[in-house]
Amino acid sequence: MIAIDQQESVKAAVRELIYRASLLLDGERFGEWLDLCAPEFVYRIKAYSPEIRKEMIWLEHDRAGMQTLVEMLPRHNTDHGQLSRHATVYTVAMDGERDGVSAVTSFACYRTMLDGINSHLDAGETQLFLIGKYHDRFRLEGGRPLFVERNVLLDTRRLDKGSHYPI
Amino acid sequence: MSITANESGSYDSGQALPFVDSRLYTDQSIFEEELGKIWKGSWLPAVHESELAAPLDFRTITVAREPIVIVRGSDGKVRAFRNVCPHRGNLIVRKPAGNLALAEPSGNANHMTCMFHAWQFDSFGRCVDIPRMKQGYQDRLTKADVALTEVRSEVAYGGFVWLCLDPGAVSLAAYIGDAFGIMREELDTEPLDVFHYHKAYINSNYKLWHDTNSEFYHDYMHYFNRATSMMQKGYFERTYTAFPHGHATVGSMEVKYDAYEGVAERPLSFPGMPRNGWKMVDLFPGATFNIRGSSLRVDTMTPLGPNLVMIEFRGLGLKRDTAAERHQRIRDHNTIWGPFGRNLHEDLLGITGQGVAMRPGTEPRHILHGRRENNTIHDEIGMRHYYQEWGRVMGRSPSDPGRAHGLAAE
Repeated sequence: MIAIDQQESVKAAVRELIYRASLLLDGERFGEWLDLCAPEFVYRIKAYSPEIRKEMIWLEHDRAGMQTLVEMLPRHNTDHGQLSRHATVYTVAMDGERDGVSAVTSFACYRTMLDGINSHLDAGETQLFLIGKYHDRFRLEGGRPLFVERNVLLDTRRLDKGSHYPI
Repeated sequence: MSITANESGSYDSGQALPFVDSRLYTDQSIFEEELGKIWKGSWLPAVHESELAAPLDFRTITVAREPIVIVRGSDGKVRAFRNVCPHRGNLIVRKPAGNLALAEPSGNANHMTCMFHAWQFDSFGRCVDIPRMKQGYQDRLTKADVALTEVRSEVAYGGFVWLCLDPGAVSLAAYIGDAFGIMREELDTEPLDVFHYHKAYINSNYKLWHDTNSEFYHDYMHYFNRATSMMQKGYFERTYTAFPHGHATVGSMEVKYDAYEGVAERPLSFPGMPRNGWKMVDLFPGATFNIRGSSLRVDTMTPLGPNLVMIEFRGLGLKRDTAAERHQRIRDHNTIWGPFGRNLHEDLLGITGQGVAMRPGTEPRHILHGRRENNTIHDEIGMRHYYQEWGRVMGRSPSDPGRAHGLAAE
């Protein structure tokens, strides 16, 4: 249980961590992003399909799996447009039972085009790629929050070419 | 009955280096003709029966611009209807899916209600209510006159709901023939269940996506496939088999999934499917059934213009899966498929680039389909066979669409 007099500073640290993670993801500094995650970290991208009326998981990895995923990127042909996440932390809540914290963050992810379609015509144009919410959980280690779980819940379900990158 | 390469027609056998004219991908008038001759005349897998599991469940789709609603009736039978009100031509059912037991604001429970003037139809397509009918129409119109128009439909081949807009077309069984022979046991031994759905709009011609599903030479684009398949035993022995009506299949091999860093082999499978096997069935004009060990991916297409196609992707497992098994199938599926998969993004980039280079107004060019390797995996027989059927149905030469199909120059 986090002491009441520490809760506001913990909330501020969690907000800062989420924003820092967004900057690192925007910069494709994936190693530094994973340094913000605990060894037991789990990452998921999920969406609800009104077509099949089911919750879907579109990507799921533990920390090691995410590490491999980003390390393998140079071996894959991909859309090198840059993704920019515009995030707003809506809520940060203490987990009363455990020494943990959870947060909900609304985000929009834009793609500034490079080579995804026609670089001569399109490079430099920014398009909205997807929107959704981050549902994150954290634990404190030495007073510092670490990501233990990120569930990316997408509202956008038509992703067209898709992406190789974490959102 | 299958077809050998030599039997598959003049387009394939008559040219030293077969090619397709790129106007097939760019010409608006050819596209309009395709909607009528090909898309309205073919049997198409539309949705899976697990999306309509309960009585009164419905799904809405569009075929060749025509709105269709598919409903499981109160008697349990799946039917399809034109989703257009016979009164003033409005769309009736607007949601992608749901159950008719939930009443719409303008109508009653268990009915399809046109929100415009509250005409109501039951799950058999019968008109059951016209507000103030007697006052407005006296005896000049009855509810029996305005039932919804039923579309031919059948549930078959893995539990898919197949549609055909042409009342005069051959039966589904005749249309498919033996094309599912390679996958019959996997699809029809026990019920399947959809766990994944997403769609993509791509500025490219629909045939280019089917081409991508019909040739494996592009495995050079995929690091995953090079590592797990092309470098492995059995890859170059995989063989194409062509079937009437433009369908083709690709035989299996044992994929070595753990040759890709961080990926494990696939212990789960389907009845009759070899462990870590990989089979494909490509159906004219635009559907692919693709089983890789533990998951079945089914692609269906809705052409929206010569340079725009909507592709729908489904992932399926067995209905009896335990939670752990289903979770594993989903993980396997997502490794390469799905919007964040390793391979699908690359495949879609590929046809996006073709859509840039061959958009309407670009100069006509020859697209080569000339690889011949005894029908094995890098032979382009799959595409040649497809365009042979395209030429037959359209009455145009794939190499010169201004000429009639089957002339000696082909």
